[in-house]
Amino acid sequence: MAAAIRRRSVAYFLLFPGAFWLIVFFVIPLYFMAKLSLDTEIPGTLHYHFTWHWDNYKEALELYDTQFVRSFIYAGIATFLCLVIAYPLAYVIAFKAGRWRNLMLFAVVAPFFTTYLVRTLAWKTILADESPVTEFLHAIGLAPNSHILYTAVAVIAGITYNFLPFMVLPLYASLERIDVRVLEASKDLYASASSTFWKVTLPLSLPGVVAGTLLTFIPAVGDYINAEFLGGANNRMIGNVIQSLYLTQSNYSSAAALSFVLMAVIMVVVFVYIRFAGSEALMGQEAV
Amino acid sequence: MRTTGKPGRSAALKLAVALAALAATVVLAACGSGIEGPVEATAAKVELEKKASGELVISNWPLYIDKKTVPNFEKATGISVAYHEDINSNEEFFNKMQPLLSSGESGGRSIFVLADYMVAKMMKLGYVQELDKSALPEVEANLSKSLRHPPFDPERSYTVPWQSGMTGLIVNKEKAPNVHSICDLFNPKYKGKVDFLNEVRETVPLVMKCEGVNTEKATEADWLKAIEKIGEAASSGQISRFTGNDYAQDLTNGNAIAVMGWSGDAVQLQIDNPNLEWRMPTEGCMLWSEDMVIPIGAPNPTAAEAFMNYVYKPEVQANITEYVNYVSPVEGVQEILVKREPALGKNHLIFPSASFTKNCSPTPTLEGKEEKNVIKAFDEVLNG
Repeated sequence: MAAAIRRRSVAYFLLFPGAFWLIVFFVIPLYFMAKLSLDTEIPGTLHYHFTWHWDNYKEALELYDTQFVRSFIYAGIATFLCLVIAYPLAYVIAFKAGRWRNLMLFAVVAPFFTTYLVRTLAWKTILADESPVTEFLHAIGLAPNSHILYTAVAVIAGITYNFLPFMVLPLYASLERIDVRVLEASKDLYASASSTFWKVTLPLSLPGVVAGTLLTFIPAVGDYINAEFLGGANNRMIGNVIQSLYLTQSNYSSAAALSFVLMAVIMVVVFVYIRFAGSEALMGQEAV
Repeated sequence: MRTTGKPGRSAALKLAVALAALAATVVLAACGSGIEGPVEATAAKVELEKKASGELVISNWPLYIDKKTVPNFEKATGISVAYHEDINSNEEFFNKMQPLLSSGESGGRSIFVLADYMVAKMMKLGYVQELDKSALPEVEANLSKSLRHPPFDPERSYTVPWQSGMTGLIVNKEKAPNVHSICDLFNPKYKGKVDFLNEVRETVPLVMKCEGVNTEKATEADWLKAIEKIGEAASSGQISRFTGNDYAQDLTNGNAIAVMGWSGDAVQLQIDNPNLEWRMPTEGCMLWSEDMVIPIGAPNPTAAEAFMNYVYKPEVQANITEYVNYVSPVEGVQEILVKREPALGKNHLIFPSASFTKNCSPTPTLEGKEEKNVIKAFDEVLNG
């Protein structure tokens, strides 16, 4: 009996830091945000009072549906690009890199040694209208107007670059865990290299694919740094709208409402995705 | 048995109590944050001590003071100054401070430097203190005549101008030699190479001037019509983007060749890139000022007034003007600079004559419902 209680109190004790953090810095602020999203302003005072004003949601969605859809499209394309770039990279690091493995992993993580902001600002110089990169792309016909910065291409490129490590690392982790004997067995059973990949390696790496796409897609939808610095007047994302509602329009209720809608839509998308991809894939290899 | 069991249970209990207490603290703190809750506006007036001393915290815009003034002030008065360059946008700074201000606090700061319209808004909300002019003899003596009676603060009871300036055109002389008016910015020849400012009170009136509207008598419909014109230019790709100070980078990188820009910036940009030039739009420019104010709840207002007074000594102000290149609100600066650095002393962007600015208009103030509608419409354009 006493041992059971002690065991339970140990569990509580271990839960404390996480629970504390989440309650104080997530659950409680979330409650106030929810309340704020249903407030109305006392005219001309910037003070808000609670009125169950659901119209905040309707209005926010009507005004900013373009940016909403745009954010999901940009984040979707960037996630897809990340996957296409990261999978071969992670595969090479896991199976072919040999003694270069640690160095390559370090190279993937190295950008984190510089802040996010500085890395994004560097792209401004890279993609500027008269930069060597833009001129080269123009010469080979990829930038017809010699103009990349402040377009959707620049924003998506920036997001892809900034979130690439979040895709590479989970992919690497799941590929590296694959038992090489399984691949050997496949070969012993006369499977070709490509059918070994499609029937053995890829299914076994699915948890990494699911984790990587989620880690990339979710923050990418809400990202506003890339659109702020690399986007032009027609490339603003929902994060920019929320920021400007809070910081320039003093429209706290609409900003809170929009944040909640964003959260809800992301949750639905993720839920559908996990159902589709199979929650087993997310949980690990037991299912395969 | 009981003795071993008890500590475990009480640990869990303590934990629960601690969590509940913390949660309660956060709830209380959030309630007091000022966004929600009743309005308590109280008019406050600065109460001075006999002698200025102690610490002074100032919030100003980046690169808006020379390197000598603050240390010299500290030496002369014994006040230690924490000078923060943490204002990048009137709205952003205001909205960051607003929850504190509405509960009567200034975040430890004693001086803010913000644009006329923002200061006017803060006065209306009761967020600034009335000044005690007995400690401001230099301001009384040297404040430029044209700035003494602005409509939002007719007797300068709450505000002391920091710097003034003009909003007009900055062009790359080589690539856009023929841009002379705001209307020229809409010429398809410059498609994608034009930046507009993200300041509603400067960008929209300049476009209204292009439309031939008198900005001082503009109606809400005039504002919305100009915003629509800007919106069309933005979605067609004519306007590359809306910027703050960062148009400077676009000009030097060649991303933009004609922008709406500020006079002081142009003087500094020209030194690095002689191809860039500030031009008075043929329609006229926008004139603006930024003011020092003492927010409510500010610690050590005595030291704050001492600083305001100090920067109004012409020889101190001359150092600031020499560095920031904006239009100084202090009289007697030109005489000093003409002797010290004739090129600056005679620059008409720093010391504009009345004939140079004859078509210019003061930044309009927007109010109430009109302000809300205009800002909302402009923000929709900004957010594409």
